[in-house]
Amino acid sequence: MDLNLTDEQQAFRDEVRAWLQANVPGEPLPPTSTPEGFAAHRDWERRLYDAGYAAISWPRAYGGRDADLLTQAIFQEEYTRANAPARINVLGLGLAGPTLMVYGSDEQKQRWLPGILSCEDIWCQGFSEPDAGSDLASLRTSALREGDEFVVNGQKTWTSSGRFADWMFALVRTDRDAPKHKGISFLMIPMDSPGIEVRPIVQINSDAGFAEVFLTDVRVAADNLVGELNDGWRIAMTTLGFERGTGLGSHVRFSKDLEELVALVKAVGADHDPLVRDRVARLYAETEVYRHNMYRTLTRLAGGKPIGPEASLNKLFWSEMEVRIFETGMEVMGPYAELTSKADAAVDKDTWHKRYWYARAACIYAGTTEIQKNIVSERVLGLPKEPRA
Amino acid sequence: MNFDFTEEQYQLRDAARDFFAGECPPSHVRAMWDDQTGRSPALWRAMAETGFVGLTIPEEHGGLGMDEVDLVLLLEEAGRAALPEPLVETTAIAAPTLVEAGTPEQQAHWLPRIAAGEAIATVQLAGAPFAVDAHVADVLVLERDGRLHAVPSERFNAVAQPSLDGARRVFTVEAETGPDTAMAGGPDAAAKAYDRAAWATASVLGGVAHQLLDMTVSYVREREQFGRPVGSFQAIKHKLAETLLVVETSKAATWYAAYAIATDRADRSEAVSVAKSYASDAERKANLEALQCHGGIGFTWEHDLHLWLKRGKALEQAYGSATEHRARLASRLFAS
Ligand SMILES: Cc1cc2nc3c(=O)[nH]c(=O)nc-3n(C[C@H](O)[C@H](O)[C@H](O)COP(=O)(O)OP(=O)(O)OC[C@H]3O[C@@H](n4cnc5c(N)ncnc54)[C@H](O)[C@@H]3O)c2cc1C
Repeated sequence: MDLNLTDEQQAFRDEVRAWLQANVPGEPLPPTSTPEGFAAHRDWERRLYDAGYAAISWPRAYGGRDADLLTQAIFQEEYTRANAPARINVLGLGLAGPTLMVYGSDEQKQRWLPGILSCEDIWCQGFSEPDAGSDLASLRTSALREGDEFVVNGQKTWTSSGRFADWMFALVRTDRDAPKHKGISFLMIPMDSPGIEVRPIVQINSDAGFAEVFLTDVRVAADNLVGELNDGWRIAMTTLGFERGTGLGSHVRFSKDLEELVALVKAVGADHDPLVRDRVARLYAETEVYRHNMYRTLTRLAGGKPIGPEASLNKLFWSEMEVRIFETGMEVMGPYAELTSKADAAVDKDTWHKRYWYARAACIYAGTTEIQKNIVSERVLGLPKEPRA
Repeated sequence: MNFDFTEEQYQLRDAARDFFAGECPPSHVRAMWDDQTGRSPALWRAMAETGFVGLTIPEEHGGLGMDEVDLVLLLEEAGRAALPEPLVETTAIAAPTLVEAGTPEQQAHWLPRIAAGEAIATVQLAGAPFAVDAHVADVLVLERDGRLHAVPSERFNAVAQPSLDGARRVFTVEAETGPDTAMAGGPDAAAKAYDRAAWATASVLGGVAHQLLDMTVSYVREREQFGRPVGSFQAIKHKLAETLLVVETSKAATWYAAYAIATDRADRSEAVSVAKSYASDAERKANLEALQCHGGIGFTWEHDLHLWLKRGKALEQAYGSATEHRARLASRLFAS
């Protein structure tokens, strides 16, 4: 056990820290849910790209730095510490790109990876449908082969960044007669195709962060199919594995949230209330345990061991902890918690509201809390499986 | 950066697991409930011979010269076996405290005897009302007015205070300290001894919780009701998934605290309070769900479950409860 960084890691950390200090915009960018905000974030991505920081985890061959997990975590820690802007192409960089590296043909990799890396192409994830959420394999959006095209019909929903995306990686049904997991394919769909209609959906935190996407006779080139026909479920599981991955460096975010909570508690004068102190100390302990556990996981992964179903434990941990942090913040504000920033008596500029609700979403997306508990109990503890239709 | 154990450290853990499986099965723990002293000199001697007892004592005094990172997995195993012997007090607290804060005479007198299994040490720290195993202890490391003393058994009196855990023996102690019992270290030595106590107890709790969870998982896989294993009901599965989450992650906290003590990091005391508060709560969760998921059988004296339920309950409170350790964290968080 040795928690010190090597000289090389230290040097990398200093380099990243210096670059961020020189480049992170002084004022926060406008929100990504507006067109101006989105454009500003795209410019920021371009700067990261030019400096070689767009996706350090990617192999050099695809424009990355081949960074090992620990180096990625160091980058993420510094990025979060510096309050750098939210990344807008996480679905492209974190999910579509790595999936293509595993299952894409050489031609597909050459076609899509550079655009993902430079953020010229923003990607969205077209998995969920109105009737296919946790039971994703029951999806119905169909793609029928006609010549060298697929004709796609159906509806995707809760599509994050759907409003601004250039591409969607989608799961579509290509064999209606096969058992439900066997008739699904993984298809890349250009969002400007005729027949696509995107309707933004306003979220409870008042951002139009996701959208529903209607597809009517959308013609997609057959060579946009990734992997084999009807092998999409297996590919999607790889994609979701990236999604539930370690959240490298996210511990810094929680530690910062906690610092803000402590500041809020002091600001409202609750810092002598023993019940509040106990709750905040409990949250502090949780963020620390999360941090230690992250290093434990990182070491395991760096040693070549797979993350496996334990990724579900990690997701459960952080999603529920974050809710508790913001929940405590809301409670500490007492009667002021309900005020928006439009109220002149407000003690908060909406940041707690927005982040509180967004934290609640984390217990739903990327596999709900209940689904994660099913996975942990069945695949880690070995308890009997749920009866399934 | 490497947050993992070495091959040798894992070997030590495996050796401990085998050793306790052979020497300290549940039947032994039960026998200690009914035993007059509740302690087994034969088991202690065997533990000394394997090197467990003297693990933290320097080689020149007959020990293995290892540190908290080497010790933490052994403590987890002691928890899994519900070991009654005072490994925490002797090996995790008193011995390293003597090494760091004892006078040369105290060290020369006690350390070789402890390592050889000839002397047992216990502790009473930070105003705790009791000392465990004071009836068999040859030396008591006692904190009085912020200073540590090494008090030999002729100079203290122990009065038994029966515990809910029949294999634990706790005592109120009247000790006669003097300049001749004083140890060399100042207030930080006492603070560090307390940190060691809280950390080591958290580590044992990790093992207790692990065992409670393991027993429960095995039980719910076998036990059938309504024509299916009760472990197939989601209400049961989700409780156990939640338990696994806190029990597994609590280990990262006790491991880090071991490292923080061994390397004297600036955040040592915070790391310890994080570990003790979190591990106590994690074990409490395992304790609650284990009995609940066992149903009636778990409520019987005859079933072994309560050996761990009770050890866990006792250790949750020992050397600072979760609430006390959080109060300690809060005073740092809200200091400025
Ligand atoms: C902010 C946000 C962003 C999102 N972004 C995207 C995106 O970009 N692309 C995309 O494809 N999707 C996205 N989603 C959708 C998300 O993946 C789904 O909401 C999620 O999979 C749950 O599906 P559902 O909403 O249909 O809920 P349901 O599956 O209908 O679940 C309803 C409730 O039933 C419970 N439940 C369901 N099945 C079980 C079971 N077997 N056992 C126990 N309980 C069960 C659930 O846990 C939940 O509490 C996003 C969601 C949110 C909130």
